Amino acid sequence: MSLMNGDLFAPYWILSGGILVTLILSMIRVETKRPAQISAITTLLFTFFAAEGQWGVSTTSLFHGAIEISSFGMMILILLCGLGILFCVGSSRYLTKEGIHYSDYYHLVLILILGSSLMAAAKDLMAFFIALEVLSIPAYTLVGFRRNDSRSNEAALKYFVMGSVLGAFYLFGCAMVFGATGSTDMSAVYRWSQQNSRPELLFLIGHSLLLIALFFKVAAVPFHFWKPDVYEGAPTAVTGIMASIVTVAAFVGVVRIVHLVDYQAAGWESYAMWIKSSLRGLAVLSLGYGALVALTQTNLKRLFAYSAIGHTGYLTLGVLSSLTQSQNLYAIWVYLIGYSLMSAGIFILMGQSAPQADAGVELIDLTGLMKRNPLQTVVWGVFLCSMAGLPFTAGFIGKYAVFTAGIDAGETVFVVIAALCVVVNAYTYLRPIALMVMRDADPQAAQWSGSVASKTISVLIALAVIALGVLPQQFIVQLKEISLSH
Amino acid sequence: MENYSYLSVLIAAPFFLGVLSVLSPKSLQRSYAILGALALFLVSLFLCSNVLFSTTPGVVIDQKISWFPAMGLTLNLRLDSVSVWFVLLNAVVCLLAFSLSGVWNRKFPRLFSFLGFSMTGFLNGAFLCTDLVVFYIFYEAVFVPMILMIGIWGESTKAAAVFKFFLMSLLGSVLMLVSIFYLMSIYHTATGRYSGDLADLITVASKDPNAQWCFFGFFLAFAIKVPMVPFHAWLKDAYTMAPMPATLWMSAILSKLGVFGLIRFVLPLFGAPLAEVQPLLLGLCAVSILYPAFLAIRARDPKTLLSYSSISHLGFVLFGVFSLSPGGVAAAVLLSVGHTLVSAGLFYILHLVEVRRGGLRLDTYHGLAKEYPLLFLIFFGFILGGVALPGTANFVGEFLVMISAFQSNPVAVVIGGLGVIFGALYLLRFYQRLGFGEVTGESSGRDIELYDVIVLIGVLFFVIILGFQPLWVMKGNGT
Repeated sequence: MSLMNGDLFAPYWILSGGILVTLILSMIRVETKRPAQISAITTLLFTFFAAEGQWGVSTTSLFHGAIEISSFGMMILILLCGLGILFCVGSSRYLTKEGIHYSDYYHLVLILILGSSLMAAAKDLMAFFIALEVLSIPAYTLVGFRRNDSRSNEAALKYFVMGSVLGAFYLFGCAMVFGATGSTDMSAVYRWSQQNSRPELLFLIGHSLLLIALFFKVAAVPFHFWKPDVYEGAPTAVTGIMASIVTVAAFVGVVRIVHLVDYQAAGWESYAMWIKSSLRGLAVLSLGYGALVALTQTNLKRLFAYSAIGHTGYLTLGVLSSLTQSQNLYAIWVYLIGYSLMSAGIFILMGQSAPQADAGVELIDLTGLMKRNPLQTVVWGVFLCSMAGLPFTAGFIGKYAVFTAGIDAGETVFVVIAALCVVVNAYTYLRPIALMVMRDADPQAAQWSGSVASKTISVLIALAVIALGVLPQQFIVQLKEISLSH
Repeated sequence: MENYSYLSVLIAAPFFLGVLSVLSPKSLQRSYAILGALALFLVSLFLCSNVLFSTTPGVVIDQKISWFPAMGLTLNLRLDSVSVWFVLLNAVVCLLAFSLSGVWNRKFPRLFSFLGFSMTGFLNGAFLCTDLVVFYIFYEAVFVPMILMIGIWGESTKAAAVFKFFLMSLLGSVLMLVSIFYLMSIYHTATGRYSGDLADLITVASKDPNAQWCFFGFFLAFAIKVPMVPFHAWLKDAYTMAPMPATLWMSAILSKLGVFGLIRFVLPLFGAPLAEVQPLLLGLCAVSILYPAFLAIRARDPKTLLSYSSISHLGFVLFGVFSLSPGGVAAAVLLSVGHTLVSAGLFYILHLVEVRRGGLRLDTYHGLAKEYPLLFLIFFGFILGGVALPGTANFVGEFLVMISAFQSNPVAVVIGGLGVIFGALYLLRFYQRLGFGEVTGESSGRDIELYDVIVLIGVLFFVIILGFQPLWVMKGNGT
């Protein structure tokens, strides 16, 4: 116990130290961004390898049980560092083009990753809250990064107000859970649920408030309304961070909070039913709403915002099936990894295709891309096919895992609904492809304007998406070994 | 005698050829693609020869490759007396489609040969896999090159066609996927391990009370793919908007994917639910013969006519499949072979005519027999195959499927049998309109070229030889 095992915390120490270095570097030389960028990438690389070195570590509690070092936490940290590197390398040209290439971007991304990864490691509701805020505050700042743009400001304000309200919800829920169980330690709450044969009303309300706060973060319908505006208003690179890093963190949070109690414990059957029905409702609403509203979008960022709401639905289905059999949790990780990779790829690519500064990419900008830029078309095609869940892509494997998990958990009806939403979604993702290959080029339209680094990054992500789809075996075996400790 | 480890070559070779053709020069794409397809055909013939020429019925070649065991997926490939024909036809159709000159001198010739080869590879995968999820993956992947072909080289108003085709097919196939997952899940509950293999899933499918729902999922997927009549809404747009090679591909081999799926997966998995709805299914087959036949009679555009004619004749194939008797299924395979060759030949000829005369309308173009006599002679051979004249494979096939289905639902067979007459009506009228009368319009180009003659005569030769030797196809299938 306690600080004696401090070296196990090394990846987080490295990350925190790197944040300070990056912050100092960004203040010393304001006009060049290179030092901060290099420092951020180096930090992420070191953290990545430190975390990888701890892969398979036995689960250990630190800081009096507030933080837990486990394979699960390391997996999330590795994933987030990887995504962070992609964004730090891939978005500098975009930021310069927009005139918002401040070196603060890099340490804000690092802080955001620290918060996100601590959410996976937190084992105490209060530590979890702190991690959530460490994640959220840089996110608000990044969303408002285009400070002269009213949409960006609006998005940041909206996100901030919503986030603060949900923070209040969370704290209120925490207080109630503490009132009912006498502890904010997640393990203690879990043990309480096993010993206490009857869920109290106070706990039910508290737990529901916690869940509402987290489902706000993942933007499940009916808690979704901030998402399209924030996605549209934020700079494209930041939208990508929202869609990948923040989504991963938020779903890790959902899984943690949903699994706060032992649903198999005696006396908790009706409680499990209640939570399950709520999750079913959220899943169906998100799937249906996300799929239908995305159909008519013409702005690519809004399109992917609504499609993200749909993906939240699939992931919620995964969470739902993990309630019945906790080994189904792997489906969520498979889906999340694939989804976060392709989201990162899409937004990095979108940053490169934006026609001019300060404008979102409209669907119409992709017209005739095939003639102008075959490679970019292929990369777009890979990401869109993966989003649609076509075979040989990471998206297919994710849907495969979630659907199998859902049927194993006995949620066949909801899997059928999700499968029908796949068809509706397919139309959404086919539309950009159709525009790219079927129409002739508009000479005024978007060019491939990224740096060599960001082009390479998007091609690499596309290859990774295909690799996960073609050779998923090793990857799934690793993920199946990860379990959530209580 | 079995070459265990070589079946995967059939899936890998087309992709290899596709990459090779991308690397070869643009101006020679057509020749490279044709050579590649020819090589593929020879390789397929060689690998299939053990099954094709074996004297004992029921020979199969198996190859098991572990692909994704964590989720129970293995690349179990099986070449049996049914799939051997589809694999061979696949290579033949690839050769025929690449031989059409239409797309090559337009945009992106390299992409076209790459898409064509990769589609052939995916089709081979679907024809060989016995693991249902892997089958689904290949089955679904076939769409991607196809919609791209329609999207890139299709007529100007193709967007609606692409969406309709893609979304309807996807609707069917995702429900099939859910059914597959359901079967896998009950197998998992029963045995504690995941498997998507047909042989494993058969053991649980027959006992499950929800099997009829799964049957519905599978049936819908394949009925949309073939297509059967209430599910044919995508057909006209997709067939007519697609460039001719893609139409040829769809009509000749993609539609057989549905037939093949029914024979290989639905028949063994869902015997009981099938037997219950058999009369209804045969009735639907009769409708799928007659309704498109009427539409074909009304058609003013030869491509539409041939498209409807194609699905009308596929109704007969389905008669054989849903007769649920070994003989009927064997006849369905024979008729599939005949149908593939004949409809590929007809679309091929239509393309040759179109290249010479521009877009065709039945009511305005006449007199092709005078201009291109040799082309029209060969055309006549295929029309006779199309109307199932005795002496062609199609005659034997249609005759046998009707006999097998007659025992189950005589009314449907009698009504559906009228389709033979209507078929003769529209095809012969088509031939007569196009061929005879005074020459109209600008003529261009010479009569049929030697290469096309060789290809078409070769195809026609097999249509006729199988009419006299139908047992070649049918002997392995239980008759």
